[in-house]
Amino acid sequence: MKYQWHFEVVWENFPIMLSGIGLTIALSILSMLAGAILGMVIALARLSPWTWLRGLAYCYTELFRTTPLLVQIVWVFYVLPLVTGIAFTPFYSGLVAFGLNIAAFMAEIYRAGITSVGQGQTQASLALGMTNAQVMRRILIPQAVTRMIPPIGTMWISLFKDTSLVSAIGVTELMYQARFLAVDTYRPVEIFTVCALIYFVITFPQSIGVNWLYHKYRTRE
Amino acid sequence: MADVVVRVEDLHKSFDDLEVLKGVSMEVQRGEVVVIIGASGSGKSTFLKCLNRLEEPNRGRIFLEDVEITGQKTDLPKVRRNIGMIFQQFNLFPHMSAIQNVMEGPRTVLRMSGERAREHASQLLDKVGLSDKLDVKPGQLSGGQQQRVAIARALAMEPKVMLFDEVTSALDPELVGEVLTVMKQLADEGMTMLVVTHEMQFGERVADRVVMFDEGVILEEGPPEKIFQRAESERTRRFLNQLHWEGE
Repeated sequence: MKYQWHFEVVWENFPIMLSGIGLTIALSILSMLAGAILGMVIALARLSPWTWLRGLAYCYTELFRTTPLLVQIVWVFYVLPLVTGIAFTPFYSGLVAFGLNIAAFMAEIYRAGITSVGQGQTQASLALGMTNAQVMRRILIPQAVTRMIPPIGTMWISLFKDTSLVSAIGVTELMYQARFLAVDTYRPVEIFTVCALIYFVITFPQSIGVNWLYHKYRTRE
Repeated sequence: MADVVVRVEDLHKSFDDLEVLKGVSMEVQRGEVVVIIGASGSGKSTFLKCLNRLEEPNRGRIFLEDVEITGQKTDLPKVRRNIGMIFQQFNLFPHMSAIQNVMEGPRTVLRMSGERAREHASQLLDKVGLSDKLDVKPGQLSGGQQQRVAIARALAMEPKVMLFDEVTSALDPELVGEVLTVMKQLADEGMTMLVVTHEMQFGERVADRVVMFDEGVILEEGPPEKIFQRAESERTRRFLNQLHWEGE
């Protein structure tokens, strides 16, 4: 098979694709922030002394870890408005779905980081007369943070790529624009190739950065 | 004159089906050094951890200077300020320097000013012979040095009683002496101490009273001369003999 590549189409429509990148980045950053904050609440719930609260947080994380992300996105967009009466724009639906999803994974990262610090640290802190909150703030979290950074980096990269899924609900990010242009120009081959390249160009340096973080914090231990 | 710092009445503790403490009662006078001995699994470490309620006793009562600390409404952080504890594994805070470790209690718990806490901490580190290690992180210290920082950290809270939980067991033999020297110094200064240890020489030289734990109860107790030389129970004698063999 001999295919005639026509990349002019891509260059002509490049501004449209670039406009999609902005939304991809915005959605990634906002989802990460929302997930990081909500995830902390869930992690603390999972470490709480109350069984019912731990159970609730456990169900939450498992619910989001065992259902496909695309299903979560579609569910938030189509079903959540029916259940709650609140309708979001596609972008905010995506943000809600990603925020909730990332929170579940962040909670696991936080929890693993905090529990990895070890019982001895907690006992020594309590023995000094610290409250549980002080132990968390002064002793456990500062030590856990360096252990959490590498897995958070890994998650950020998959989040960045996964935002392409919200094209399914009409968020005009990079993937959506590519699909739109592919149909519009009859040149899907060139368009999707460049789309993949754009993801690669943005993600690859970050991936290198995350590898560097892994090395940095592994030697620190 | 009875100036009792710690009083324990009929303490019981179980882990699931395993009853580790089966009714232990004890009184500790101010300034007294009580050395607790016994085989591993005899409940001595659990007993110590019940005293500041790092382990929750199932039954029995504990009093610190006549105030019950086993009640439901006990303000545990407040009680624990007065009870220093040193652990087998040191448990220093690895993200803080030696002096920050010692300042942490006064700063965070007592809300002492940084300046005062620093001055006090540097005096305490001087006392344990580490005035040249103030800004060194625990990872850069030997086990003996770490344990001395841990003692200074506990002292910074000016506790009424100190609990030592096998504090030399994780140390290389040549580092045991420097820690025991600091402990002896504290004993000489009149600190009330409960010491769980396998260092029988320390027991012989420093203890006012030696308590032998066996299977969750106090088997026998008395002044060190009596326990080490004329123990009444066959089990105590056998335990001490065995230690001698291991030490040879």
